[in-house]
Amino acid sequence: MSTSNAGLAKKLGYTNVRVFLAGEPAWSEEGYPVYASKGFVEKGNIVLIDLRKGDAPVKGRIPRSVQIHYEQLEERMDDIPRNAPVVLYSDNMGEAQDAYEDMKEEGFKTVALVKGNYQGWVESGGAIETGPIYSNEIKWVRKLGKGEVSVAEFKKAVMGDLPDTFVIDARTPEEIKELGIFTNTANIPLDEIPKRMNEIPKDKRIFIHCSTGARADLAYRELIKNDYDVKFLLLNISDPECDCPIIMPE
Amino acid sequence: MKVKSIIKFIPVAVMLAFLAAGCARDTDSSVQAPAAKTMEKKTEADVYTGPIVGKSNKAKTISITVGKGAEAQTMMVKFDDQTEGVEFAKKGEAAIINWEQRGDDKFATVIKPKLAKLPEGVTEIKVDELYQLLEDQVPMTLVDARPALRYNQGHLPTAISIPVPLLKEKKAEVLPEDKDKLLIFYCGGYT
Repeated sequence: MSTSNAGLAKKLGYTNVRVFLAGEPAWSEEGYPVYASKGFVEKGNIVLIDLRKGDAPVKGRIPRSVQIHYEQLEERMDDIPRNAPVVLYSDNMGEAQDAYEDMKEEGFKTVALVKGNYQGWVESGGAIETGPIYSNEIKWVRKLGKGEVSVAEFKKAVMGDLPDTFVIDARTPEEIKELGIFTNTANIPLDEIPKRMNEIPKDKRIFIHCSTGARADLAYRELIKNDYDVKFLLLNISDPECDCPIIMPE
Repeated sequence: MKVKSIIKFIPVAVMLAFLAAGCARDTDSSVQAPAAKTMEKKTEADVYTGPIVGKSNKAKTISITVGKGAEAQTMMVKFDDQTEGVEFAKKGEAAIINWEQRGDDKFATVIKPKLAKLPEGVTEIKVDELYQLLEDQVPMTLVDARPALRYNQGHLPTAISIPVPLLKEKKAEVLPEDKDKLLIFYCGGYT
């Protein structure tokens, strides 16, 4: 914690120590910019957006960037995955700042700027790419986090094509009554998991889902604590990507 | 790094800044969480203190991380209309949950926010004041105490990265030489 750091610094003889308790989230929520590190701009799993106009990127751009002129940003916002870390640069600090604020307001969680914009990147010795641009398509694929099952593997399980797998739907019985349940799936609502642990086989691999992944994540933690081999699906199950067979309510 | 480059901002009301849970969660989650089977019997206390992992209004449950490092465990309690202070159970913020056993379930009775205690002689700085100091280019060392990945994704202007474990290991080596210069630490706040 920043407070324990501050305490340590105080002990080391620093006389003028303060703590910004609200931290980075409070800073960026105010619309104040944050900056991505150079290595992250070069190699991170990000969507890198060049906000400059016309043929500026043809003359020189940061590798892997996609050109979206600030005036087109609003239109293209839906092409950018909401959970992708986004890094922006321009040659105009005002536009970069406006784009940063627009994206924060749109609900993008991780948005950052390149220090000093394009000029700053060049001055810092960052690599550039020149020449024609063949595609402005955003190709970003989320990497699975700890404990997550891929949609493909999950789908296999509910299709019955993955032996020794037990799939749990952690939604409430009311939700299932209304919306149906995936095939090869047992319903154990999140809040009942601790007391219904005996219904969950120890010798099988467990997959858990709910409606968005939030409850499945919590159920995952509950089961991992009890030594289960378990993964959860972090996906809104109405997402077309899932496309799993559903047993509809009668 | 030019502080001048922050050219505009939204003048918004002063943030409520009374918690500092983010770093605790960041560092704890970098350690393998589920470990201690030997702990099983010891967790029967009726108070859980730690960062909230999540809350589900549909399932009426709250998950909270209890314990540090390798001994950290995520505990789940239910809540109902009788539970006081459910609003203090916010993902990423530290809370104190009093609970009681009812049948097979643990129910939260009272939930309170866990306030950060500042070490003696250390003061808090709010977002607007920090902004002004950076804008005025007041000499200072601004330290991001979060894990390096979080720093790399996005950090405050002029900030340097010193994750908590690094400071514990290297101590003054990684801090400025001038011990009277303003030194400000921040971390992941409350999300």
